[in-house]
Amino acid sequence: MVTLEIDGQKVEVEEGTTVLQAARKLGIEIPTLCYNEAIQPYGACRLCVVEVIMGNVSRFQSSCSLPVADGMTVKTNSESVLRGRKVLLELYLARCPQSKEVKELCERYGVTETRFKTFDKMEDCVLCGLCVRVCDEVVGAHAIDFVGRGTERRVDVPFERLWDKCLACGACTYVCPTGHIQNEGRRIGQLRRNLGTERKCRYMLMGAVSSKICPNNYECWRCEYDQRTEYQLGNHPALALKTTGKK
Amino acid sequence: MTFEELEARAQEKWRDIKECPIPLIRVGAATCGLAAGAGEVIEVIEEEVRNQGLDVRIMKVGCIGCCYAEPIVDVQKPGKPRIIYGLVTPDKAREIIRDYIGGGDPRPDLAMGTIGEEEVEDIPRFFDLPYYKPQVRLITENCGTIDPMDIDQYVANGGFSGLHRALSLQPGDVLEEVKKSGLRGRGGAGFPTGLKWSFCRGAEGSPKYLICNADEGDPGAFMNRSILEGDPFRVLEGMLIGGHAIGASEGYLYCRAEYPLAIELIRNALEQMEEDGLTGDDIMGTGFSFHFHIFLGAGAFVCGEETALMNSIMGLPGRPRPRPPFPAVSGLFGKPTNINNTETWGHVPWILRNGADAFAMYGTEKCRGTKTLSLTGKVQRTGLIEVPMGITVEDIVYEIGGGIKNNATFKAVQTGGPSGGSIPYYLASTPVDYESLTALGTIMGSGGMVIMDDRTCMVDMSRYFLGFTRSESCGQCTPCREGTKQMYHILDRICRGQGKPEDIPLLKEMSESVIDSSLCGLGQTLGKTVLTTLTYFPEEYDEHINRKYCRARVCKELSPAPCQAACPTGIDVPSYNALIAAGRFDDALEIIRQDNPFPAVCGRLCPRPCEKDCERAESDRAISIRALKRFVADYEIKRGRRKKIVHPNPVTHDEKIAIVGSGLAGLSAANDLRKQGYAVTVFESKPFAGGMLRMAVPDYRMPPHVIDHEVKLIENDVGVEIRTNVTIGKDMMIEDLKRQGYSAVFLAIGAHLPMDLNLVGCEGAGYINAIEFLKRVKSGNREKPGDIVAVIGCDHTAVDAARTAARLGSRVTIIYPRSRDELPVEEDTLKELEEEHVEFQYLSLPVEILRRGDGSIKAVNCLQTELQCADGAGRIRALPVEGSRVLVPATAVMVSVGMKTDAFIFSSGLELSSMGTIAVDPITLATSHEGVFAGGDAVTGPTTVIEAIAAGQRAAASIKCYLCGEEFKEPYKFVKPRARIEPAEVEEGIDKFQRPEEPVRHGEERLFDFNEVRTGLTEKLAVCEAKRCMRCDYEEEDEAN
Repeated sequence: MVTLEIDGQKVEVEEGTTVLQAARKLGIEIPTLCYNEAIQPYGACRLCVVEVIMGNVSRFQSSCSLPVADGMTVKTNSESVLRGRKVLLELYLARCPQSKEVKELCERYGVTETRFKTFDKMEDCVLCGLCVRVCDEVVGAHAIDFVGRGTERRVDVPFERLWDKCLACGACTYVCPTGHIQNEGRRIGQLRRNLGTERKCRYMLMGAVSSKICPNNYECWRCEYDQRTEYQLGNHPALALKTTGKK
Repeated sequence: MTFEELEARAQEKWRDIKECPIPLIRVGAATCGLAAGAGEVIEVIEEEVRNQGLDVRIMKVGCIGCCYAEPIVDVQKPGKPRIIYGLVTPDKAREIIRDYIGGGDPRPDLAMGTIGEEEVEDIPRFFDLPYYKPQVRLITENCGTIDPMDIDQYVANGGFSGLHRALSLQPGDVLEEVKKSGLRGRGGAGFPTGLKWSFCRGAEGSPKYLICNADEGDPGAFMNRSILEGDPFRVLEGMLIGGHAIGASEGYLYCRAEYPLAIELIRNALEQMEEDGLTGDDIMGTGFSFHFHIFLGAGAFVCGEETALMNSIMGLPGRPRPRPPFPAVSGLFGKPTNINNTETWGHVPWILRNGADAFAMYGTEKCRGTKTLSLTGKVQRTGLIEVPMGITVEDIVYEIGGGIKNNATFKAVQTGGPSGGSIPYYLASTPVDYESLTALGTIMGSGGMVIMDDRTCMVDMSRYFLGFTRSESCGQCTPCREGTKQMYHILDRICRGQGKPEDIPLLKEMSESVIDSSLCGLGQTLGKTVLTTLTYFPEEYDEHINRKYCRARVCKELSPAPCQAACPTGIDVPSYNALIAAGRFDDALEIIRQDNPFPAVCGRLCPRPCEKDCERAESDRAISIRALKRFVADYEIKRGRRKKIVHPNPVTHDEKIAIVGSGLAGLSAANDLRKQGYAVTVFESKPFAGGMLRMAVPDYRMPPHVIDHEVKLIENDVGVEIRTNVTIGKDMMIEDLKRQGYSAVFLAIGAHLPMDLNLVGCEGAGYINAIEFLKRVKSGNREKPGDIVAVIGCDHTAVDAARTAARLGSRVTIIYPRSRDELPVEEDTLKELEEEHVEFQYLSLPVEILRRGDGSIKAVNCLQTELQCADGAGRIRALPVEGSRVLVPATAVMVSVGMKTDAFIFSSGLELSSMGTIAVDPITLATSHEGVFAGGDAVTGPTTVIEAIAAGQRAAASIKCYLCGEEFKEPYKFVKPRARIEPAEVEEGIDKFQRPEEPVRHGEERLFDFNEVRTGLTEKLAVCEAKRCMRCDYEEEDEAN
């Protein structure tokens, strides 16, 4: 067990816990966009950056990826943390001015307008990478990835063409915080246009069910299994079952 | 093979080189040398040697460091020291072969220095050159001396003895040795190397990996390349030692693929090491095994970051990941990994060979040893230098670098490339070590040092580096990806003149936030450039945003062409040049008239500050801007004005303005105000307008009809009323003007009263004041002042008086206390003076006028002077030598020592300055009286025509603000082009056209008549000359968003 101090409160957690988890255990709120318990921490949205003091060295670290250590002092709302968070939220607001989630997040942290220029008013992808990572780590399909570098970076399928690695499982759509990823619908549409070959059920492809043929013509909302799993597990089946557990 | 066998073989081979029986020619053939033409030089040497039947050995070596002198050829003749020749062209190479190798002349004129114990006459020792004197060469000791392709040459110079020693020690002892040496990571962060090694050594997991980071991506950095190309074995030996100390058995060398020569040399080095059993299993029979792998980086800057680099080696996209886990715990393929910079590895063999203490002797207490730096930018001598830690920036710039190129001023140095910041000139005494640089807000980085001069705009520089990081950001984390995009956008806006005052705090806040919240080193450092420039050069940001002005004239939208910027009246020179080139002379004149109502006057008498700043002067000679202006003005005078203004400008304001004095200042102010719709009356005490130009400047320089033409245009076309023969202060008072309904008065009464020189003997006949003399001659009295005239003073009045006296038949000598070089006279005027037989008596200070018994002047008695070099202001002073005596014979003495304003004519008690001129607010030109302004010579004392016109224009702008009740602000220095004129068609051969001399009348009659001496450019010459203009104003817009 490791003891650390977060915002003046001492907390004892298991080794290997991240600072974010420890803070949430204490009920301290740290905003995140790219974090999901089922997926490996990625440290891309940087909203969860906190000030970490070890000995006499103070550093800024993303709390989602930082394992706790003995003697650590964490500040989640110091002046510089809040300043950085505010600038970040403004950057998000400038990038995705239409996104409901971004607007809500900004509102919660007192950011009402951005001082930055919006280059694309219709943009709603925050590039958190959740879709890419869930597809790779959880589903194991690796059907989508980042394309381009730096400011050109975006999420896409190879050569901008949906391909048969995509199971239409919907995990990406499920985890996407802004509703940008629409792969499931697109892929289902594609599958239905090519009916007659092999109608594989997405849960079968994920290893969640054993039957091979989808009886519902890819209309998952009519599928009992789909409704039952989500109801029972409270999560998307891909994430709840962690079918492949690649990493 | 044991180490002893290896060493014996190497020593034997080295003897062949050291005591080479035939001349040995080393050529620096690293990438820098090859780029400078070393390849061609080698071919020429081979060819020349073959032609002359000489027997020589040619060896390609790495870069010795002085890249500014590439290509470098190093000749070692038997029994002689090595002689280094720099900047060797094929022709020079032939001369060296012929004279030194063929003959015995070492050619000291081409040589840079010697290496070796003996000395050669007239050639300094190479390492005593100012470039090398402050340097300490540890890691670069072999660069430029050994063949990087030959393992034996490395071994003979101490190579692998460090490894030999390390293998005889326990790994822990090697670690201790490295710790003791105080070596810190040379990649930039400065983490203690020994400590880093011990982390990896202590980590669990097998195998362990070592990585050498040679992914050198900073713009302007080439330390790693130079080391790998000059001495590749050293880096590999360092990794072997590290492998032994850490317990690693695999090593990756991650080199950027842009370094093909370095990669070739490493591959060759590994092959040779393998043959000699220095890599692979059981190295030198000690049981230690180590395998090398070379990995080529595909050119992403972010792959220099350790986690991104490891991802790249693992075949993943080169993107960083959050740490922890640190590489020492879980690195390459999830195994403990130790990653160091090329230079860090390169230092290790030296430490093991010479001991930690020897290394720790250099540098400062916290930063031991030496650091290689790539010195680039606007410095005289650029290249790879190795200096002890703690050397100051000053020493690097001035001693090693030899100061700034082209006599420019040192402004700042950027350290650490795009991840670093700028150190301003006023902190140049900062020592170069990790802590001091961090304290200034920058970093040591891998060692790039870009020196910048005053032609560098710091805002533009920040934009450049941010543009680099923006395009190199991997895009994974938001602050770096979105932050660079937005920061670049803001900086770009500022550079384009669209900056807002709130941008400065926003930039600062953003830089700090991006530094704090980014994922990897790229984002955590990129804000430093912006932060340091904001801290050290706030005035430049302020100028860009609030005054729309770029002092370095780099930001195109904020800098007019240099000529236009230099002109006090802001004439759009490039546009009128282009119109002349296109043959549109009338249009050209209209462009000039928009800013200056006196093109013909300025075309003759302007001191042409524009030509001093002309860009063409950098490569060739400046454009004859003044002569072109005169050409178009004269063209109109000769042919008559084409463009007739039918209706004069309408009067749109109720206020009337009185202007006192019809000189250039007064008429310019009148011209501007009248054009803006004010009724203007100019009062002139003389019967004609034109001021001093019309009254005193001799006809052969300024024909009266020229000034009359321009005055008439102001009167008729613009609509200014000029009332002559009215003296304000006598016929009418300032108060009377106000009573007559003039809302504002501008006093431009000039400076007409001659000042006097209190010499002994100046009372009496033959003592003439130069300005009185000129006025007399101009009014028609052409009486000879005396047979022999001595002129005291050397301003324009004195020179004019001397030339006038010479025309009237006197023999004239100008007495000047300094030498010819200091004469405040333009070169072509000086030539004309000499043609007109005006003589000079230099270095003489008049003290007394000697007179005969009858009171007539006999001579001027002078003291000899001595020139003393620049005081603080850079002016050369002339100090009289006590007891000396120089006699200048004369029958008349003419004096011109300045003029003052006749301000006392205004009884109303205007406030005067200590100089006796009218006191005004320097910005608004307002005097102590409400509504009364003053400018021109009356305020400044005698100045130039162009400044008088500029003063008039300023007064006009200020008066307008006064009448409208607005506050008058310092006008922007930025002047916009008046028109967008396409560049003229340039025919072939125009590049050979030289700046023409202004045509001058020659012959006997010029010496005695008063017709104009200079005749002006012909049409053909003018058009050709105008085509030489480089059109600095005409820039295609960059397509940067």
